[in-house]
Amino acid sequence: MVPKVAVIGGGIAGIQAALDLAEMGIEVFLIEKKPSIGGVMAQLDKTFPTNDCSI
Amino acid sequence: MLAYSEVEGLSRKSGGFTLKVRRKARYVDEEICNACGDCLEKCPGRAKDTFDMGLRQRKAIYLYFSQGIPAVMTIDPEACIYLKKGKCGVCKKRCDKGAIDFEMKDEILSLDVGSVIIATGLDIFEPGDLTYYGYGKIKNVITGLQYERLINATGPTGGHLYRPSDQKLAKTVAYVQCVGSRDLNYCSYCSSVCCMCSIKDAMLAREHDPESVSYIFHTDLRNVGKGFQKYEKRAAEEYGVQYVRGRVAEIGEDDEGNPIVLYEDTRQRKVESLKVEMVVLATAATASRGSRELAKMLRVKADKYGFITTRNDQPADTNVKGIFACGFCKGPCDIPEAVSQSSAAAQRAASHVLRSVGAGASKA
Repeated sequence: MVPKVAVIGGGIAGIQAALDLAEMGIEVFLIEKKPSIGGVMAQLDKTFPTNDCSI
Repeated sequence: MLAYSEVEGLSRKSGGFTLKVRRKARYVDEEICNACGDCLEKCPGRAKDTFDMGLRQRKAIYLYFSQGIPAVMTIDPEACIYLKKGKCGVCKKRCDKGAIDFEMKDEILSLDVGSVIIATGLDIFEPGDLTYYGYGKIKNVITGLQYERLINATGPTGGHLYRPSDQKLAKTVAYVQCVGSRDLNYCSYCSSVCCMCSIKDAMLAREHDPESVSYIFHTDLRNVGKGFQKYEKRAAEEYGVQYVRGRVAEIGEDDEGNPIVLYEDTRQRKVESLKVEMVVLATAATASRGSRELAKMLRVKADKYGFITTRNDQPADTNVKGIFACGFCKGPCDIPEAVSQSSAAAQRAASHVLRSVGAGASKA
């Protein structure tokens, strides 16, 4: 088996999964449809319940 | 990282999958472009800025958003005059690094992987069908995601709540909950994040403007996460957010473009109306467009709304061995939930690919 993983979607979920896998030393392809990663989260201003910035 | 790329096919082979991925032509060399913006200045092409939910126009060559990664320009082939008519090329002349390449073609990549994680997230329900809310007709009725762009310092209004009709500062804002959600005609499920999102939005409005007044029209407030109840209370006590229990029936408009909200206050058992300066529709969140096609391509089960079905005993596992899912593509969840689901999916995928590597090594 190829020790590589493809993650489809580069929003918060995909980015987190890709980072975790990379930290484990596994090669990851992060595939995102839009011109840059970030997903819907990047469009948000602040996030609940702490009102922290989303990026 | 393969941004601006889409999965087009998946085939199985011994010990894993081969993914066919289309790397769409950006017409800009990712290795050379440093997003300096010289190319933008004279570009005559225009398109709706989809990142800002159509609240402003962008040029045909654009940076998707300012902190985006990869930080490179992209040319929109639908809006670019050179790509459509063969004349213009101003951006190419302006780019002294030579990053622009109109001859660029889509590339098809074939990726051999041991495992796949689906994290396709969400899209926002388009509220135009709900004609009684006037979205698309009444200019000052916007969606929650449009509001996020308005209140954001990098957004089209620099973080001020200038309403779309006349760019006047909106001081009274009504939030309408469950737009498309918990509605048997559209999405019968609860989108889970909108109650907290609207409360947050109302708090932000007050932070930006101490005179701002917010009304949240809700079915019932579903704030079930850690610290959420306290947040709801704090919004009322410290930020003056007013909660009105009752679904909004209809939204009208007066001569000055102010929306008029007609609703039933179920606590008072009265039908009332309220004039506000702007309405924010807390629209349902749906599985992302194309998620059904993707599920079919990967032979993964999805429910009738296009959310990926996962196993009850292993919440990251789909029905296909080696394919996992996390985040909103499985069903409504907030950011912290999405993050923990993603770590779980990463762990499951890692053990899937590494176990087989270990097994192979011991055989050898």
